[in-house]
Amino acid sequence: MDLTPNADQEAFVTATADWCRDNMPLENARERSPDLWTQMREMGWLGMTHTDLGLDHATEALVFAELGRHLAPIGALSTAVARRWTGTERRVGLVIPAADTVRILDGTGASLALGLRDGDAFTCALPAELASAASLDPSATLARLASTPALTPLGEPRAALHLQLLAAAYAVGCADAARDMASDYAKMRQQFDRPIGWFQAIKHLCADMAVRAAVARSQLYFAACALDAGGADAAFHIAAAKHLADQAAVENSRANVQIHGAIGITDEAYPHFCLKRAHLLTFVAPASRQILLDDAA
Amino acid sequence: MDCNFSPEEQQFRAQCRDWLYANVPSEKRPLNAIEAIDFDKAWQRRLFDAGWAGINWPAEYGGRGLSIVQQVIWLEEYAHAHAPWIGANFVGINHGGPTLILNASEEQKAWHLPRILKGEAIWCQGFSEPGAGSDLAGIKTHARVDGDELVINGSKIWTSFAHVADWQELVVRTEEGSQRHKGLSWVICDMHAPGITVRPIAKMSGQVEFAQVFYDDVRIPLANVVGGLGNGWKVAMSTLSFERGTGFIADQVKQSQEVSELIERARATGMIRDDRIAEQLAQMRAEVAALQAMTYRNISEVARTGQPGAEASVIRLFSAELGQRIERMAVLLLGEAMLDFRYGDDNAVADYLRGFAATIAGGSSQIQRDIIGERLLGLPKSR
Repeated sequence: MDLTPNADQEAFVTATADWCRDNMPLENARERSPDLWTQMREMGWLGMTHTDLGLDHATEALVFAELGRHLAPIGALSTAVARRWTGTERRVGLVIPAADTVRILDGTGASLALGLRDGDAFTCALPAELASAASLDPSATLARLASTPALTPLGEPRAALHLQLLAAAYAVGCADAARDMASDYAKMRQQFDRPIGWFQAIKHLCADMAVRAAVARSQLYFAACALDAGGADAAFHIAAAKHLADQAAVENSRANVQIHGAIGITDEAYPHFCLKRAHLLTFVAPASRQILLDDAA
Repeated sequence: MDCNFSPEEQQFRAQCRDWLYANVPSEKRPLNAIEAIDFDKAWQRRLFDAGWAGINWPAEYGGRGLSIVQQVIWLEEYAHAHAPWIGANFVGINHGGPTLILNASEEQKAWHLPRILKGEAIWCQGFSEPGAGSDLAGIKTHARVDGDELVINGSKIWTSFAHVADWQELVVRTEEGSQRHKGLSWVICDMHAPGITVRPIAKMSGQVEFAQVFYDDVRIPLANVVGGLGNGWKVAMSTLSFERGTGFIADQVKQSQEVSELIERARATGMIRDDRIAEQLAQMRAEVAALQAMTYRNISEVARTGQPGAEASVIRLFSAELGQRIERMAVLLLGEAMLDFRYGDDNAVADYLRGFAATIAGGSSQIQRDIIGERLLGLPKSR
């Protein structure tokens, strides 16, 4: 039992964080370079999930938390999961099904999309001319399909868990980003002749953000290891990880807006990037309450 | 990263389980310290004789010299087996002993550690004072050096098990006129020494477990100072992060069991159909899992580097507040039966009432948030 990253995993995390900082900063989330997808593919993140590479889910979770911290494209989740379970090397959009319609995120340039319905993973073909527009999350494009496309089940229960795990990792990264943005601002912003982080009212909001992020990250690590171990309890632990990570991302993002004060509610400042991404993630492979209530193995 | 235990660790777990299954006493541990003391001492002695006391304490002082992971496995199985709380041995085993291991002289360790492990010496903690709670550095109880003795005057309060303890880890001001963290010393105080008066204090649950202690010219040998005169603050702080990391593992397993029991009860009574209750229970189920994961992360860090991670303070805060949410849910599910509580009962209502201590004792949640904000996030110190 060891829930700390080993040396190889540390190296993956450092390399990912360094690259993201230089090439995919959070601040550019709504104006990504047109060749970002090509760069991400070259860096190996979209294909690291393929079994040929022999990397475990724990390593993926660590890397995707770093990608999520920099608000990497949401479609990287569906692309990486499709790579593992369908073998495709192409870009794959993310499906968010609803009762009345089907939403496709990051479907631009993709001919296939992947999503969950009733807890099972499926793919569907996308029309050649997908009319994508903006979405709540300024980093993601959205298209709504008038008629429900034919869904092809992947027939592999682990695919749904895989998507949920990577989405939880993104949310953990988002929670970290909001926490760090808030505490950096609280150290810099001066009122009453001192940094606002001096005041317990602000300090304790920041401390609660640190608690939520640490709780969610710990469960993410355990969940990733549980999926690697292949036991019956993986579904519970991944659901718990997704539930706590979504909560941490949303609550930390909200607190981050508040700590920034008036600048926090503007379009030009960055807190809303995290807030909108956090809300989007709650619709990606959401945790089932029933699984959380049922007896954990 | 890996969530599997090694074959040796699994074998160790099976040994723990087998022994506990055959030996956990069937009678309930008495509620109040006075009635519980014989029970606590006898149970600790049985643990020691069977080799389960001080699993990761050094072998030369009566421990087993095994790993922290094995200590964790033992504590998990201990809770799974519904073994009794170690009660009056809590301070010696979880705080006094570990502080001695890190800071005491060979003589002090050789005398005290085996006695703690055998349940022969009950310890209590003398840190808080009427005027020094969250502001612990405001300690006023003082000790004057007189030859080869310290002469102690003052008062300590909220001291669990003071009225049944043999020894006390006592932090006093040994330098006259010293301020704050300076001039304090960590002393092994004999609770049977003349001049000590103990006044037990009842809690709102009716339980009598802690007390106020008065010192009136109490003479303690200078040789009982641990870590050198004037180094008391450093000695006291040396084990705080340890306490935050592993001192509450059995409690965490208990919390997990309690959540499962609450879900069962909510299903049996139909209260699970209340959406708010179902949501809160699902939340708690996820949280107790995460608490275990966070503890494993911390233990892994200790096993790898010898030090708990920076997030150890998060565990203490999260665990305390989660425990209170669970206790509150338990009384919510009781409904009107909560009203049947009588002063001194030992049940879910008593757990709820006692549970308020969790976010106060050992550093209030407000102080913990200061620590997390300042040490983990680097926010400016406000004190």
